[in-house]
Amino acid sequence: MRTILLVEDNEMNRDMLSRRLERKGYRVLLAVDGPGGVEMAGAHAPDLVLMDMSLPVLDGWEATRRLKAAPATRHIPVIALTAHAMAGDRERALEAGCDDYDTKPIELPRLLQKIEALLGGAAPRPAEGSP
Amino acid sequence: MRTRGRAKDLETYAQDIVNTVREPLLMLDEALRVRSANRAFYQTFQVSPAETEDRLIYELGNGQWDIPDLRTLLEDIVPRSSAFNDFELEHDFPAIGRRVMLLNARKLKAGRHGELLVLAMEDVTERRHAEEEAARARRASDAANRTKSLFLANMSHELRTPLNAILGYSEMLQEEAAERELDGFSADLERIHAAGRHLLALINDILDLSKIEAGKMELFLERFDVGELIADVAATIRPLVEKNDDTLLLELAPELGEMRADQIKVRQALFNLLSNAVKFTHGGTITVTAGRRVMDGAEWIVLRVADTGIGLSAEQIVKLFQDFTQADASTTRRFGGTGLGLALTRRFCQMMGGDVTLNSAAGEGSVFTITLPASVADRAPEGPAGAADAPALPYPADGAEGEASPRGGGYVLVIDDDPAQRELMQRFLRKEGFQVRAAGGGREGLRLARQAPPVAITLDVMMPGMDGWSVLTELKADAALREIPVIMLTMVDDPERGFALGAADYATKPVNRLRLSKILRKHTCPDPPCPVLVVEDDPATRAMTRNILEKEGWRVSEAENGRVALECMERERPRLILLDLMMPEMDGFEFADRVRRHPEWRSIPIVVVTARDLSSEERQRLSGYVETILQKAGDSHEALLRQVSERLSDWAPRAPTPRPGDEARPPAA
Repeated sequence: MRTILLVEDNEMNRDMLSRRLERKGYRVLLAVDGPGGVEMAGAHAPDLVLMDMSLPVLDGWEATRRLKAAPATRHIPVIALTAHAMAGDRERALEAGCDDYDTKPIELPRLLQKIEALLGGAAPRPAEGSP
Repeated sequence: MRTRGRAKDLETYAQDIVNTVREPLLMLDEALRVRSANRAFYQTFQVSPAETEDRLIYELGNGQWDIPDLRTLLEDIVPRSSAFNDFELEHDFPAIGRRVMLLNARKLKAGRHGELLVLAMEDVTERRHAEEEAARARRASDAANRTKSLFLANMSHELRTPLNAILGYSEMLQEEAAERELDGFSADLERIHAAGRHLLALINDILDLSKIEAGKMELFLERFDVGELIADVAATIRPLVEKNDDTLLLELAPELGEMRADQIKVRQALFNLLSNAVKFTHGGTITVTAGRRVMDGAEWIVLRVADTGIGLSAEQIVKLFQDFTQADASTTRRFGGTGLGLALTRRFCQMMGGDVTLNSAAGEGSVFTITLPASVADRAPEGPAGAADAPALPYPADGAEGEASPRGGGYVLVIDDDPAQRELMQRFLRKEGFQVRAAGGGREGLRLARQAPPVAITLDVMMPGMDGWSVLTELKADAALREIPVIMLTMVDDPERGFALGAADYATKPVNRLRLSKILRKHTCPDPPCPVLVVEDDPATRAMTRNILEKEGWRVSEAENGRVALECMERERPRLILLDLMMPEMDGFEFADRVRRHPEWRSIPIVVVTARDLSSEERQRLSGYVETILQKAGDSHEALLRQVSERLSDWAPRAPTPRPGDEARPPAA
């Protein structure tokens, strides 16, 4: 089973996206701020990170830069999530080392496509008896 | 006897005429003594002929006319030219209080009286007050508008957070309902979700519009395939098309190719036009036509959305592109929508240097046409709030693109404190095809320039508050504005007058005390006495200048030439330098040059005091900054404006030109 680390400070967004991803057959790890995200990524080596960009303590831009600077986490693909499509956000995200970029509100099919493209494998089988 | 009687008659006749003039008039002889005045003068200033006639103008009414500005005018300017126009004088007149007078003068040959100077005064105090009031009201309203936009932007953002939850959870429940085959829930959940999406679209429109109004909307330019974008938008809209039993046709020119623009905004503009077309068309046909055209030597992408729907009347068309306005109020109830979609579409297109136009008649369907540069310029002029509010003028649906080509390029910024001068300049420049924005003062001018850099600036030298030189200095200190050509306009009548361009100020010899202290007052000394350096080779002039300066509270150092002056400055950095130009050893030009190249001295204002006219080459040497200096002579507005226009045509493109590297493509069929 593929593991996705979701770094998101908004509780409802975290709850929604994690449950929907789980239903699609992913294992989801959660972090609520930048330092937590960096630490979780180092400790659990997820297959992919979904990074909200406006995070408390350490924002998503900086957290991504740290992930991409550390040998242990450098290879993990990161998808940046920003609240709205500001001109240049995409460039900023890619510059910070993000591998892809998506805007909120999340459109699940579109996000899943991006996740799959980065994971490069066949779609995971839906989990049996999802919640 | 008879001749004398006739002369007397004529004089009485002349006086009678003069007395009918409602503006106060003064007739002065060459020694500035009052020959006569008209009735309006006596009434306005509440004085009698006995205390007026044959007196020096400065002595009138306990010296109430001894005004420094008036002295400058009568003693410096009038002798060198035969007239002046609209010299504004603000002064406390003992009998009538503080008034703003507009002075006009003409020299007349007056037979045995020799030359007469006719001085006409117009009291414009009320007008100025009204103008100031209007300007204040405008500023307040601009500020309120910005506050509103900011509030909307913040509010919209706040609204999205709870809305995201509504959308997300309703979508999750839909997924779950489908999995568990709870069909009864699905339809209701779909309704919640659709209503949420609708609300989100409205909020996004408001957010976009308030961003544009607050000047915060940015363009993100990239190259993309136009055909792909159209196909993409068409696919998005297709469910709505089918719902209304409409047919969607795409007619794309084969050479459509790529364009460079803000893809998201082009997409949204086209989507808005299409969803508008679908909204008003049932069981009809919607046709999207796309092509490439060359107009005014530039390549344009033309997207056209034609429908066979209900169409629009002429009055509806005019209202259509305005914010928050729909064709008529009942439309809102029938068709929904914020009424923002078309206004936004138009703003987006204008931001990219293009436009959207409409041709329609009630009952005959509508044709909307988006025209955009094939390659949008990096710094497309973004109109401030209100700048893009002109209603759309419908033009014939076919073959009229030539006339409708939007003007590209930027605008010319006119900075002048004189409303009449400003208005004149604006009108003229507009007539010449330039877009113009005007500022009534230096601060406002700088603010406008920073908000959206103009292609050229015309700058009045003499302004209250922040004068032209200070504006120029700030412009040249700002990396983003430094390259913009500045045309200085001066009030002084004689073009050969000794202007030291790029110098902080200028004065003429013999030094006029009042004039000099006025200049000095502008360079205020925060903590007196401040050091000032007088660089002058003539000991007598030096002593006199020192005297004046010390009375004004400055601490004076003297140097007899440029070399000595540089040594002085090593010891103490003056706050101000008064500089003679002609000196032995090191002259004023070389000295000024050295000061300007010294990083710590560069900002010290230099007042050039010169005894003679400067050649253009000499001005160039003192210049540093200014491209051109023009004469702002009251008599020859036309000539002046023509010169301005000639200078501008060198810098300001009238229409966008193709960028190098863009290969020419044949116009679309």
